Amino acid sequence: MHIVVDLNRCQGYAQCAFLAPGVFTMHGEESLLYTPVVPEEQRERVRRAVAACPVQAILVGEEAGTGAR
Amino acid sequence: MAADTLFQRITDYANRADPYPLYAELRENGVARQDDGSYLVGTYHEIAALLHDPRISSDRRQRTVPDGAAGTDEGVPPSFIGLDDPEHHRLRGMAMRSFGPPHTPDRIDGMHEDITRIVRDLLAGLADKERIDVVDDFAYPLPVTVICRLLGVPAEDEPRFREWSDAIVAGFDPTPDEDPAERQRAGTEARKTMALYLGDLAERRRGHPSGDMLSAFVNDAGPEGQLTPLETMATGVLLLIAGHETTVNLITNGMLTLLRHPDALARLRREPELMPLAVEELLRFEPPVQMLPQRTPLADIEVAGRTIPKGSPLILMLAAGNRDPQRFADADRFDPAREDNQHLGFGSGVHSCFGAPLARLETQIALHELIRHLDTPRLIEDPPEYRRSPVLRGPRHLLIGRG
Ligand code: HEM
Ligand code: SF4
Repeated sequence: MHIVVDLNRCQGYAQCAFLAPGVFTMHGEESLLYTPVVPEEQRERVRRAVAACPVQAILVGEEAGTGAR
Repeated sequence: MAADTLFQRITDYANRADPYPLYAELRENGVARQDDGSYLVGTYHEIAALLHDPRISSDRRQRTVPDGAAGTDEGVPPSFIGLDDPEHHRLRGMAMRSFGPPHTPDRIDGMHEDITRIVRDLLAGLADKERIDVVDDFAYPLPVTVICRLLGVPAEDEPRFREWSDAIVAGFDPTPDEDPAERQRAGTEARKTMALYLGDLAERRRGHPSGDMLSAFVNDAGPEGQLTPLETMATGVLLLIAGHETTVNLITNGMLTLLRHPDALARLRREPELMPLAVEELLRFEPPVQMLPQRTPLADIEVAGRTIPKGSPLILMLAAGNRDPQRFADADRFDPAREDNQHLGFGSGVHSCFGAPLARLETQIALHELIRHLDTPRLIEDPPEYRRSPVLRGPRHLLIGRG
């Protein structure tokens, strides 16, 4: 699973960083850092994060090449 | 019927089971002024804009005609849900420090197993019941237990919280056609008692950190310093109340909605990974907080061509905005896989729900385990009996048979 966050759309709501803290981290109050290649054991958490993002800024590709990059 | 009676009709208990036709009527009227000088807004884009408008206050003391719920004379100061920035921002930030990122990123994720265990224990206790009340047997005990654990309230004191919390919630009920004075007095009294209890508990943690949020409030100072004892009390009460009946109603409305949509239920059984999206759709389709009754404009403002005067009560009908066809395709359809879903179920803007990640996780786990536990659930009563409140709307009981 690969992800990419559309940082133009992201509003820093941090919902993703609560629900998948191993993948998304808040740096200070507003800027978001994330791991584009999601480890197997984080997939369920990332799915929760994707659904919770109020502006649908997290895009997912299940296979390498279809999502991020 | 006339738009100036809409609030009366929406709050009328006879319309509790299905207020949605009234919300459609409200959307058609744009902004609806009521006889008592309050204004209702029910269209998505207008509500969203108002929730981001700094001229809209959450502080009831800004109203020209003060209402009973505005009083601070009870000794406990208002909590940040009823304050404006910068005070709101400061208090919310200090509370967030021990709840979520960036300072405490693992708190909610770390509760996953705890929540699952509490849910499974509750369900194990129901194994030989033929008939289940989803509210009393399942949805009601869960959030209270979870919040008490989060704050650090000992398990044996939980029943007291249920009592206090019921009285406080009844105190908010704005149903106009009855005298609400006694309900408000009892609510204020319960809030004070709960505040004193939490303040006392927090003080006993001072110097003895125990990992919970109350302990962090008194032991862990951030750049903004620490909550004062009174602020600790007000914040503790807010967290308990805001996260209690709301979550109960989301779980219960959720199960009711799934039972009314057997295809969606079957699909979630086949594709459990869809649950997070389904919970977002529930927050849109049957939101536990139907309206925000406590906004007040700080200046005359123009909304959809009408002027709302400074100081008037302004009521934002979230549940109406969530079904606005101008924003959502097929707005009256429940679609558990809906993707474009920026609903108003948790509000929006600076006051948007503090506890949303916890509420999401609790509800996802609760519904997932509940539908696994019940093979062929059957609704015994539809519509079920609803609670009184038109604000925090949800069934009082939800009876389900096992096939
Ligand atoms: C499904 C469950 C829930 C729903 C539907 C819900 C809904 C909401 C809504 C609509 C608001 C906005 C209020 C406003 O703008 O005036 C709000 C605020 C708030 N909620 Fe929730 N909530 C839920 C669960 C929780 C939980 C579990 C907690 C606590 C852990 C919580 C704590 C809060 C707090 C503290 C605020 C005030 C935020 C502020 O003023 O900045 N909520 N909630
Ligand atoms: S939840 Fe969405 S908007 Fe919020 S920080 Fe994450 S990606 Fe950005």
